[in-house]
Amino acid sequence: MSDYKLGIPGLEEVVPVVKGGTNIMLIGPPMSGKEVIANNILYSGLAQGESGILVTTSMSGEDALKWFKDNGLDLEPHKPRLGIVDCMSQTIGLAIGDTENIKRVSSPVNLTGISVGITNFFEDFWMKKQVRKARLCVYSLSTMLMYSNLQTVFRFLHVFTGRIKTADALGIYVVEQGMHDDATINTLKQLLDGVLEVKVENDSCFLRAMGMSQKPTKWYEYEVEGSKINIKYSYVRPAPP
Amino acid sequence: MIETGIPKLDEYLDGGIPTGKSLVYLIHPGVEGDVFGMQSLYHNLEKGVKGIYVTSTASPHAIRDRFEELGWDLNSHRDHLIIVDAYSALIGQDSEERYLVEDPEDTASILKTVEKALEENPRGLLVCESLSNIMDLAGEEDTLQLLQDFHKVLVLYDTVSICNFTAWPYSDETIRRIKDELFNAVVKVGGIAERVIFGQYYGVSKVDWTQTKDATMLFRVIKPGGVKAFIPKILVTGPYHAGKSTFIHSISTRAVSVNRLGTTIALDHGHIEHRGISADIFGTPGQERFDPILKLLGGEALGVFLVVDSTQPTSFPRAKTMLELTKTFGLPTVVIANKQDLSGAMKPDDLRDRMKLPRDIPILPAVATSKTGVTDAFEMLLKRIMEGL
Repeated sequence: MSDYKLGIPGLEEVVPVVKGGTNIMLIGPPMSGKEVIANNILYSGLAQGESGILVTTSMSGEDALKWFKDNGLDLEPHKPRLGIVDCMSQTIGLAIGDTENIKRVSSPVNLTGISVGITNFFEDFWMKKQVRKARLCVYSLSTMLMYSNLQTVFRFLHVFTGRIKTADALGIYVVEQGMHDDATINTLKQLLDGVLEVKVENDSCFLRAMGMSQKPTKWYEYEVEGSKINIKYSYVRPAPP
Repeated sequence: MIETGIPKLDEYLDGGIPTGKSLVYLIHPGVEGDVFGMQSLYHNLEKGVKGIYVTSTASPHAIRDRFEELGWDLNSHRDHLIIVDAYSALIGQDSEERYLVEDPEDTASILKTVEKALEENPRGLLVCESLSNIMDLAGEEDTLQLLQDFHKVLVLYDTVSICNFTAWPYSDETIRRIKDELFNAVVKVGGIAERVIFGQYYGVSKVDWTQTKDATMLFRVIKPGGVKAFIPKILVTGPYHAGKSTFIHSISTRAVSVNRLGTTIALDHGHIEHRGISADIFGTPGQERFDPILKLLGGEALGVFLVVDSTQPTSFPRAKTMLELTKTFGLPTVVIANKQDLSGAMKPDDLRDRMKLPRDIPILPAVATSKTGVTDAFEMLLKRIMEGL
């Protein structure tokens, strides 16, 4: 069984590794730096020689690559192990084809196409490139839920969380807090093993992990600086239920 | 009769699909099954048949681009291609299509538009790009009812229908009705999986106008080119003098070996034609001095025959090492307990204990020199490859 490091300094002191086959929901309000957290987790894997698959529903594959470049995260040495399933470009009518690293899907409603894109990258990395550790990041489930109903997204997630377990990989699924009711979030959580939860209070961002250590971690205050997540080690007592 | 245009499939269907009949490509999630419907449509457009394409996951522009990626130019078939646009209204996009579904989440709206397209363009082929997507939007029950209604109008307009259906975890009853009741033919399009899906296959699981043939094809989607029957790579490995080359020659329709003084010094290669399946088979040398090339020979293999000399238990540790050296450990494997005709040959069960092999790895007795047991071994390995589905 493989172990995965999340690549977020500070948090790794309490969650040093995540077991292979784990599926994690990354949930938080808009503008709280979820994208940076997700990209850090993905990049951390690439830097350790793993493969990384990013499903983007609200940004083109090229823009996703540009984000890494603009933030000083060099993807060049890792490109043979990087795959992006771009559900955005064709939705807005851009007639661009696949590249070595980017597979296009007609729209976020095309879950069959997304599943084919992910599967093709998994096969390529596992069989041809012989890379045995993989991270999948879906950014975001919320966009999928805007195009498809909960039951449909649940079925999709059911299949792919199972594939992550079988492949001993790591799955990260980003959810926008405030866009969905509690019942929706709880339904999706049924399929997942852990949660990285983000909250914003008094203009400060906090992060905690649940389901990846014996009990939920404390809330860590953090700042986003470019591509970096700086944990500040201060503690805020969780709000009473 | 409407042909599917998928290699070997029309043979399995006794020529194709008769007028008024329906076929579903039942697709395992993650497998490139949607190309099947596209290929069937394009194949028929090329033959001058009118084709109606119901799109529900992409705009008509994106669909045309997708066909183009596969090397199929729809512009030259403008007169025969009719697109029913069941997507644009979903995302509030303008559509220039004559047949626009006003509410893609409402099966009555879909039926009305399809019926109009059929009425104006009868006696052809209707392809539904993604029945599962319609089901996701409109619900399982309504979509099953829509299928029943579809079939009535198909008969009325002398049309054949082909649907792509991704078998997401819908209710058991829905899957059962798709498989057993609502289509005249079911073609399963699946994935071969161990830890990841690493191969794809299709086969007829039901057909009501001819006898179902027990045949499966492995395939790949080539761009351009579409669905091509895929010839898998099967590796034969094992210790020196276990009988690998003899096994390959006995199992193959034709084979060649690179050898010196009767010992393989590079590789053996054979080609098998068996029950509609073609396979390429590669054998490794067994001597340790060739170990550096074993990994290369093992690359992209789909399954492995590990040949051992049943009379030589001292070679068994080397046999297991070779699975590791060829980087095929974990792939579907069948162990060939060769030389069963010689005195002192260990029986498969004893060999399993001695090699400490898990119960799920089959060990088959064989005598490669007389071709005894080799066909059983091939069928067993194919079964093992298919078992991950």
